[in-house]
Amino acid sequence: MNGTVLSRVAERVYWLGRYLERTDATARLIEVNANLIMDLPARVPLGWRPLIDITGSSAVFDQLYGAEAEANEHNVCRFLATDVRNPGSIINSIVGVRENARHVRETMPRVTFEYFNELYLFARSALVAGQSRSRRSEALEGISQRTRQLEGFLSQNMLHDAHWDMLRLGNYIERADMTTRIIDVRSADLFAGHHELEPFQHIQWFTVLRSFYAMQSYYASVREAVEPPLVLEFLFKDERLPRSYLRCLGGVQRSLRELPRSDEALEACDRAVDALQAADVQRLAGSENRAALHAFIDTCQQAVAAIHDVIVETYFDTALEAEQAAL
Amino acid sequence: MTIDWQAYRADDLWDELVTPAGQPRPGAGRLLKALAELSDDEIRERKTAAELAIRSMGITFTVYDDGAHIDREWPFDIVPRLILKREWDEVARGLRQRVRALNAFIDDVYHHRRALRDGVVPADYVLKSREYRSRCAGISPPHGVWAHVCGSDLVRDVEGKLYVLEDNLRVPSGVSYMLENRAVMKRVFPELFEHYVIHPVDDYPARLAAMLRSISPREGRSPRIVVLTPGIYNSAYFEHAYLAQEMAADLVEGPDLVVGDDDCVYMKTIDGLVRVDVIYRRIDDLFLDPNVFKPESMLGVPGLMRAWQAGNVALANAPGCGVADDKVIYTYVPDMIRYFLGEEPILANVPSYRCSEKDHRDYVLDNLQDLVVKPANESGGYGMLIGPQSTRKQRDEFTRSIRANPRNYMAQPMLKLSAAPTLAGNTMEPRHLDLRPFILSGRTTYVTTGGLTRVALRKGSTVVNSSQGGGSKDTWVVELE
Repeated sequence: MNGTVLSRVAERVYWLGRYLERTDATARLIEVNANLIMDLPARVPLGWRPLIDITGSSAVFDQLYGAEAEANEHNVCRFLATDVRNPGSIINSIVGVRENARHVRETMPRVTFEYFNELYLFARSALVAGQSRSRRSEALEGISQRTRQLEGFLSQNMLHDAHWDMLRLGNYIERADMTTRIIDVRSADLFAGHHELEPFQHIQWFTVLRSFYAMQSYYASVREAVEPPLVLEFLFKDERLPRSYLRCLGGVQRSLRELPRSDEALEACDRAVDALQAADVQRLAGSENRAALHAFIDTCQQAVAAIHDVIVETYFDTALEAEQAAL
Repeated sequence: MTIDWQAYRADDLWDELVTPAGQPRPGAGRLLKALAELSDDEIRERKTAAELAIRSMGITFTVYDDGAHIDREWPFDIVPRLILKREWDEVARGLRQRVRALNAFIDDVYHHRRALRDGVVPADYVLKSREYRSRCAGISPPHGVWAHVCGSDLVRDVEGKLYVLEDNLRVPSGVSYMLENRAVMKRVFPELFEHYVIHPVDDYPARLAAMLRSISPREGRSPRIVVLTPGIYNSAYFEHAYLAQEMAADLVEGPDLVVGDDDCVYMKTIDGLVRVDVIYRRIDDLFLDPNVFKPESMLGVPGLMRAWQAGNVALANAPGCGVADDKVIYTYVPDMIRYFLGEEPILANVPSYRCSEKDHRDYVLDNLQDLVVKPANESGGYGMLIGPQSTRKQRDEFTRSIRANPRNYMAQPMLKLSAAPTLAGNTMEPRHLDLRPFILSGRTTYVTTGGLTRVALRKGSTVVNSSQGGGSKDTWVVELE
């Protein structure tokens, strides 16, 4: 009868959506980098540091592992996957999923909470610090699979009311952010001082595409060989690619239009879309434009953060914000 | 081996379904026969099916254990408890009478205090009760009703006579389990329902919603009703969520609500502030409003009492109604019925001794090993002395406590609660039980058909509280054809 949603519940559902998406995306990010390593000759001294930068967690990493510590596969994977001291680690994202779900159980089909719980239990047993690449890969794949199943289940079974719009809003905001971060893997300076390896640059693009499960989609949509400028155009602006940045912004807009009092948030969204449309992303593809690409991605992330801020301001009871940050 | 009712023995007890001679009580024949026709395997299957249903329906209660909050599944026994309709009609009449008198008493306490002046209940007992709220004096809730939801506990003694053990007027819980028990039973034993005319219970949420609407301060429009919960870690959270869902009301926590400068209550939503008319509150008085009661309460809403006093929001139950939920005040309920209604009580109280009266106290102190001693204001079975199971040391402690604060204690003879056949492993064994019907009072009064039967699952135990090893049974009020 009521048709409205409590601010507290809306905020929980929104963060549930974000954490669910972040779990999947962080798992994918680790996999992308690990695959990239396997695709390159062994003599490339490939850095794991870029993952720390991309996830925006350098300060936390340095604090935990020491600023002089070398970022290697071992400590970066631990930091991103299992380290409970890192607020953005996969295990903490899953705790965030479960904690928020626990508070809004009654807004979803009853069995959903069991699935959330199962995701948590699986992650806790499958993700072990310092495990082999293959075991780690299995665990990350298992986690990704479960989050996707959960999203599918909710999409098919949850009432598509304002709760659903909030959940999707959280999904899309996080996805927009993570899409830009994954593209950013490319902007990392992996080959500094190894000019003889320039030919392998291309491989990075394949890997980035694969991380979006978008290899076939690329060929189907672009109908060209894998060329860096076209890949960037595709990942940023192809509206038919579910995880493209533009498509994510479209998802945010669609959810916002279903929600009350969304004018200001929609304006912030329009600004992000306008900035994207105005940008000539193809020109950012070359290795000489690495810094420009990174800077552009930065502005995208700021635009997404600005939308988030308006959402918080408009809908939520800000008392909960601190708690989410502490999770 | 199937059930042999001839071999079933509930010695020295009143059994709800089986006579001492192993014969079914009136109305129970077809139920006992149907159960006896099941093989062990079939019984096990039904038991498993019930557990599965409870899991998939998500029926839980929360316990605090080892520093963690754990959702436990609700322990359920598959053998229903039967009550004949003609007996129930009389009980329901008695409950209505009782709650009418209780509400008249509370209203009197906070207004003219006639009953205190006339010596029906000693003024001292009332005004010094921990549950008396001086802030409530002079307030007139709609229809003169303070205790909108009452859960009275009924027990039967060895002779089969029903007594009221206590009236829970503050935030009585358990009604969702009554509803879920019926739903589970229908899933697990559909064929049993063919044998009987069983009165339905599932209109309770609609009745509750109707009662809450009837106390809305704003007439002529559809009021906004919310259920106020302490949050997910409360043991009854499942019930709060369940009732809110069934009533299509919003489930809110204290921080979701604000009181405006206009002394109205609003909830914070994505549409902005939305006015709230009726709050079905499931938190204790003292946590309702940090401005008035416990300042450290995080569960309440600053200014809520102000809004209630201004008549801009209804609170169910009304603050201060717990003054009649005091176990010493309980002993005066039969007198209240005579005084306020001019009627003889239909339901009996359990004989009780007031420790503040010298002759009663002397008797209690001399007979501690045979009595149950209860503090005036505890619930959930806490803080009691169960004489026959007590140690010397415990009795000495109670002697000291009673002497130090006699007003805070009352005592009752150890009742041998009635029992009913309950599945224990593969066999049926008698287990003690009670019954908690719920009475709703607003513009009109409604009594559940039956109520929640709680059963002590441990052999010999009489503690039926879910936090202490209790379970429950479906309760059937049946027509005798």
